[in-house]
Amino acid sequence: MQPLLERYARVDFYDEFADEVGVPRSHYAGLARTLRSIDWSDFQHRVATVNAVLLQRGVTFTVYADARGTERILPFDLIPRIVPGDEWSLIKRGIAQRVYALNAFLTDVYGKQRILRDGVVPWELIFSSRFFSREMIGLKLPHDVYIHVSGVDLIRGRDGTYYVLEDNLRTPSGISYVLENRDVLKRSFPRLFEHYQPRPVDDYPRRLRAALTNAAPFGNVEPTIVLLTPGIYNSAYFEHTMLARRMGIELVEGHDLIVRDNVVYMKTTKGTQRVDVIYRRVDDDYLDPLYFRSDSSLGVAGLMDAYRAGNVVLANAVGSGVADDKAVYPFVPAMIKYYLGEDAILPNVPTYDCTDQAQRNHVIAHLAELVVKNTNQSGGYGMLMGPSSTRLDREKFRLAIEATPREFIAQPIIPLSCHPTIVGDGIEPRHIDLRPYVLYGAEVDVPACALTRVALQDGSLVVNSSQGGGSKDTWILD
Amino acid sequence: MLSRVAESLYWMSRNIERAEALARIIDVAFNRTVDRIAAGSERARRVWSSVLELAGGPEDIPKFEGPSLANDAFAYGTFSTENRSSVISCIRIARSNALGVRAELTTEVWEAINSMYLFVEAQSPRAIAREGPSSFLRKVRDATQSFGGIVDATITHDDEWSFLQIGRYLERASMTTRVLKTHDAEDDSAPEWQRLLEMCCASEPFVRAQRLSSDPSEALAFLFLHRSFPRSVRFCTSEVDHALHRLSGTAMGAYSDEAERVTGRLQAMLDFVQLQEILDEGPTKFSDRIGARLDAVGMAVQTSYFPRVPVA
Repeated sequence: MQPLLERYARVDFYDEFADEVGVPRSHYAGLARTLRSIDWSDFQHRVATVNAVLLQRGVTFTVYADARGTERILPFDLIPRIVPGDEWSLIKRGIAQRVYALNAFLTDVYGKQRILRDGVVPWELIFSSRFFSREMIGLKLPHDVYIHVSGVDLIRGRDGTYYVLEDNLRTPSGISYVLENRDVLKRSFPRLFEHYQPRPVDDYPRRLRAALTNAAPFGNVEPTIVLLTPGIYNSAYFEHTMLARRMGIELVEGHDLIVRDNVVYMKTTKGTQRVDVIYRRVDDDYLDPLYFRSDSSLGVAGLMDAYRAGNVVLANAVGSGVADDKAVYPFVPAMIKYYLGEDAILPNVPTYDCTDQAQRNHVIAHLAELVVKNTNQSGGYGMLMGPSSTRLDREKFRLAIEATPREFIAQPIIPLSCHPTIVGDGIEPRHIDLRPYVLYGAEVDVPACALTRVALQDGSLVVNSSQGGGSKDTWILD
Repeated sequence: MLSRVAESLYWMSRNIERAEALARIIDVAFNRTVDRIAAGSERARRVWSSVLELAGGPEDIPKFEGPSLANDAFAYGTFSTENRSSVISCIRIARSNALGVRAELTTEVWEAINSMYLFVEAQSPRAIAREGPSSFLRKVRDATQSFGGIVDATITHDDEWSFLQIGRYLERASMTTRVLKTHDAEDDSAPEWQRLLEMCCASEPFVRAQRLSSDPSEALAFLFLHRSFPRSVRFCTSEVDHALHRLSGTAMGAYSDEAERVTGRLQAMLDFVQLQEILDEGPTKFSDRIGARLDAVGMAVQTSYFPRVPVA
């Protein structure tokens, strides 16, 4: 019998599992015992079973870069990530605070624009944002909620501090993996669940439905809610089907909806039926060919008119993206101070503003040590990881930054924390992040549902599924 | 329920039923020709081309010749991706329809169709050609038939289920009709009738229902007109009729749309026609007439429930 943890070596990063001298942290002691007692071949058998189950269930995503458009399962790592209760309560307070502030910011930016007048956030930064929607100015939303669903990406630095890396306010995906991973893992390690009793995740669909119900146009207590999907070729289609099924609402495509006299209807076998709330998983650009991209066949002609007339609610609101523009991100702590009068509970990662001459020069001089991100892209696309880049990559980015500085930000590379992960024929440390999901109905609701993404390649700091990342079940303790 | 969803459920169900029927028909054709008809003969060619015509339009079916005729025809009917009516194409179409309505399907139904798809996609035609097609076709039949059982046992018997029923029974009625159309007029022997019965999964029920002295042509009445055999055209039409009335809430015997009207009319004819009338008209001609009526039912379902432009 080969001990599973034999090859697990110390690393020069924050190790979630073990302390400085290599002893498992107290909340990992039970897991360590289990890993020591399981035979490697038994373990591999469980891995194979789990993968077969995921494939049969079709828990897959589509990789756009792959010409065949293949469906793949997101690699699922069987070793769970454990978050102790005290850490979680800090995270919970920190991201709730953030979401309140970001929502207040959106209400303000599309309303009185006080924060811009007061010079806390620069005008030009907001009006040059690709995600700023003039269509939203002066529109009053029910309960002033813009960001009904969000996912905040957290990472841990070398000393274990949690930092916010990104606020995902535009249809963040991944919650289906949280639900599926838990379901699958329970079958593989029932005893470990008995020991840890992690908080359940399976009431997320109910809470999402509650938040969407609350979002309905004023006075409508039993709204018809639908989930709008781009369709079967979208990389998150599996997730759309799962959420619609578990919430018991219709999954619709753009051509299932029709707008008449500023009211949205869906086409059913018994005529048309009025729709009140649309949880849309379609980007702003594609929502309405009359307002946005006219070549879009994913949206609904007239949807924006119905929205502006207050006859339908979109979750999230159009134009929410201006608050998670990567170039706006550095101002979030100031927003928290401005709207809530509080200090940020979770710190930001230091960020260079490339529109500032001095900072831009610094970035260009230090490209090899920084990570550069394009503010118009996400999901690990359009990114330069300095240390692993070639001279040619850096030259390309230098030219691009100088040509359009507004479209780039740079950050020092944060050494993400590490976690035991199955690799080949053993367990090795790999870098991880954490994405808790946040709902905003009557108030901000942070369910104990978080996705841990893991960079499966040795040394890689990029955890995105499109870039070869995997996921872990995440156990949040009481 | 969304019209798009209804349409996808209908086509998913039709294609699963078609895959099941084709898997059985091809298997029977293989077994029936292998010991009775010389490979590469004119007769073998005729039998196989009639089998392939069962599934699709006759105009684009390649002409198979020579001693490997049976193998080539088998491969075309089973694995060809150019043949939109091959077993594999049907399962692919069904699965892509299922994908579009995945939120409406139960997990059990989705997993059944997905694992069927994964199984078929993982097969190598060469290995099957080497081992003979039977065990593969058998697995397809098992998977498609258990699919029907899972649908019945896990989906609420409301509108969704009614559209699945319409797809299933309309396709089955069409298949039985097309099988009967392939009746070789020059061969009125018992084995020829036996072939047709087997293609419709009917040989044992038929034997059970008949007296020893009965005429082989009574198989014709059995497959067209039996009241309760689940593959007879009359039974299938009646299931479609019931499903349509469940959807609309109209009383049986009356109609509220074109789909109900054409189905009811066909049903009345099948309820009262006699075997001798079919024999007088000629089985092939009669089959053509029924086939056209069934196609009209399909068109009427389409315009009643999945119109391209919704009516108010």
